[in-house]
Amino acid sequence: MASRRRMLLKVIILGDSGVGKTSLMNQYVNRKFSNQYKATIGADFLTKEVQFEDRQFTLQIWDTAGQERFQSLGVAFYRGADCCVLVYDVNVMKSFDNLNNWREEFLIQASPSDPENFPFVVLGNKIDVDSGNSRVVSEKKAKAWCASKGNIPYFETSAKEGFNVEAAFQCIAKNALKNEPEEDIYLPDTIDVVGRQQQRSSGCEC
Amino acid sequence: MSEDASSYPPIDPTNFDLIVLGTGLPESVIAAAASANGKTVLHLDPNPFYGSNYTSLSLQDLSSFLISHSAPPPSPPSAPSDGHDFTPAALAARPLFSHVEISSFAPDVLGEEHSRKFNVDLCGPRVLFCADKSIDLILKSGTSQYVEFKGVDASFVYNENGKLTSVPDSRAAIFKDKSLGLTEKNQLMRFFKLVQQHLEDDGEEEGGENESRNSRISEQDLESPFVEFLNKMRLPPKIKSIILYAIAMADCDQDNVEVCEDVLKTKDGIDRLALYNSSVGRFPNALGAFLYPLYGHGELPQAFCRRAAVKGCIHVLRMPVIAVLMDKSTGHYKGVRLSSGQDLFSHQLILDPSFMVQLPLASSPPGLGSIKRRVARGICITKRSLRSETSNFLVVYPPRSLFPEQVTSIRALQIGSDLAVCPLGMFVIYFSTLCHDANQGEKLLNAAMDSLLTVPESAHPESSTTVHSENSAEEKPTVLWKALYIQELTMDHFESISSTPMPDGNLNYNNILHATLKLFQKMYPLEEVFPETASPENPEDDNEFSLES
Repeated sequence: MASRRRMLLKVIILGDSGVGKTSLMNQYVNRKFSNQYKATIGADFLTKEVQFEDRQFTLQIWDTAGQERFQSLGVAFYRGADCCVLVYDVNVMKSFDNLNNWREEFLIQASPSDPENFPFVVLGNKIDVDSGNSRVVSEKKAKAWCASKGNIPYFETSAKEGFNVEAAFQCIAKNALKNEPEEDIYLPDTIDVVGRQQQRSSGCEC
Repeated sequence: MSEDASSYPPIDPTNFDLIVLGTGLPESVIAAAASANGKTVLHLDPNPFYGSNYTSLSLQDLSSFLISHSAPPPSPPSAPSDGHDFTPAALAARPLFSHVEISSFAPDVLGEEHSRKFNVDLCGPRVLFCADKSIDLILKSGTSQYVEFKGVDASFVYNENGKLTSVPDSRAAIFKDKSLGLTEKNQLMRFFKLVQQHLEDDGEEEGGENESRNSRISEQDLESPFVEFLNKMRLPPKIKSIILYAIAMADCDQDNVEVCEDVLKTKDGIDRLALYNSSVGRFPNALGAFLYPLYGHGELPQAFCRRAAVKGCIHVLRMPVIAVLMDKSTGHYKGVRLSSGQDLFSHQLILDPSFMVQLPLASSPPGLGSIKRRVARGICITKRSLRSETSNFLVVYPPRSLFPEQVTSIRALQIGSDLAVCPLGMFVIYFSTLCHDANQGEKLLNAAMDSLLTVPESAHPESSTTVHSENSAEEKPTVLWKALYIQELTMDHFESISSTPMPDGNLNYNNILHATLKLFQKMYPLEEVFPETASPENPEDDNEFSLES
């Protein structure tokens, strides 16, 4: 049982609307970027196979499906996360200020057993915009915040240009893998309602 | 993340096909189904969590939800008519709960550190039968990727002498039963053979001219009470009771036609036997007939809400609606006014049954004349399982098993920490029974609780009576926390605004979902519920990187 669950790593991406959460996922998994922004519709989760120390893992990256717009992500979204990615837009101060709220919201909702050591990764996205001239959050400021929250790894990315996205997600995968979910201890096999329904004669055998 | 909705940006757009108020399972299924059909949907809830009356909460949140939803409704502020071409009709809370009684016997054990580990169901006891239509709906809608289930390990029947008898879920189990004589086993054999032939025959009705035509149960028998049919088959009382109350899940005393309000007909009894039978073994690693969702039943509405969101539905929690806007000239529904002051419009509105529109003209006194039915629900938290060998199981108390005046059956469901509903080593036990008044309901549930548990007399731990050092009581686990409440079952209807069904007294969701899908069909007669194209590929089989949608 440990095998199936340990092979699947759940990563959730949080941050204000419009910071590029869906684009980052898409760039990492599909190597695609769309300049056309619309509030996320249709994005659920993406999966990617990753290799780490000779073992194969499935990274399942969950998008907010737009439910972050009115801070209406239900507790179910957070359950069983192995790593939480916090994204802000380096050109929008409020999105950086809100990182703290998103982090706290995660800790409340997911209530990991060891909140001090739960793996977060922070991404400062859209560094390509206006060649960096419209930037309002400095790398130094972002790194200082990350350091104050228990040395959260920090990456500056451009989902549009694919800059640093691969490196960021490698770190995310590595940290997700290091997180030992407490649930493994006492959540054995669940029922696979999709795949393996036993074919049974329709007769009454009771 | 935010304490209230005041920090929310205005909702944009302001016109929708459908506005849904409340995020209980029925509302969430409708929101998901409408979104899957391309409708624009706005889904609102005044609570900071999903699930409304179908949610799962921490003990503190559950207590405050019950208490705040049992207060008499505050007289709604008369919404001022403004210069627009519509009239606001105030939206009032309808209290679904009453006689809420919460006792904590071990506040230290249930302290802060554990509070987030509880996911206690508001509408328990509840399970899904493996062969329920709800499982098909979960699969068809694509919500199965957001919920995980585990099997409920066993079912027991409580009998008069205070013992739990296991419900046999196979023919083999019945024949291994040492308490039955050979004659009784032969009678049982005849009964099951008949039911099986009937069902097989029923299945291939078109095929016609079969030799087993005479093996069908007669039309007359099918329309007569199931209990009469079981008597006719000369089944022993013990087996009869198991079939009626632990398999067919009959609610009231089938042997007492005077007090029984829903006598089960043979054809319905046979259908329920068939459902139970096809549930056992449908999934290879589910031992019994039932499934329970990991983290509690509150996961189900959330799964449908996420499905809706993926299809474009906009969700806004912590957003009360203060009034429903009615067209001044036609009197038809037009939209809603949020507590933020924003007015939003839609073609249709769906309301969770804990809201009622106070129309100035229509004065329909609720539920007048008819005898009201209620469901009494109870929750106990313990540190020891009722049975040492298993943690997740159902117990049915057939009518008259606790005391002679018990006219309804009581169901209890124990769920352990392996289903992530409580801290490691604890257990949540849900109880429910139908009743007419609170006294009757409380008496029934308290008797059921006392039969298997030790309920401390005092809520103060220092004066606690744990030194009951009599060895006879040693077997019974002690209750750490207990809740008892009465929930309304009757429903009123408003014109032009549809209310979704409230949680019923049944174990599964079949009736609720049936009513929900009927409501959807009434609203959108031309649309299919979750058309086939909407169902996603299984992500596990999908190694190519594609966006699941």
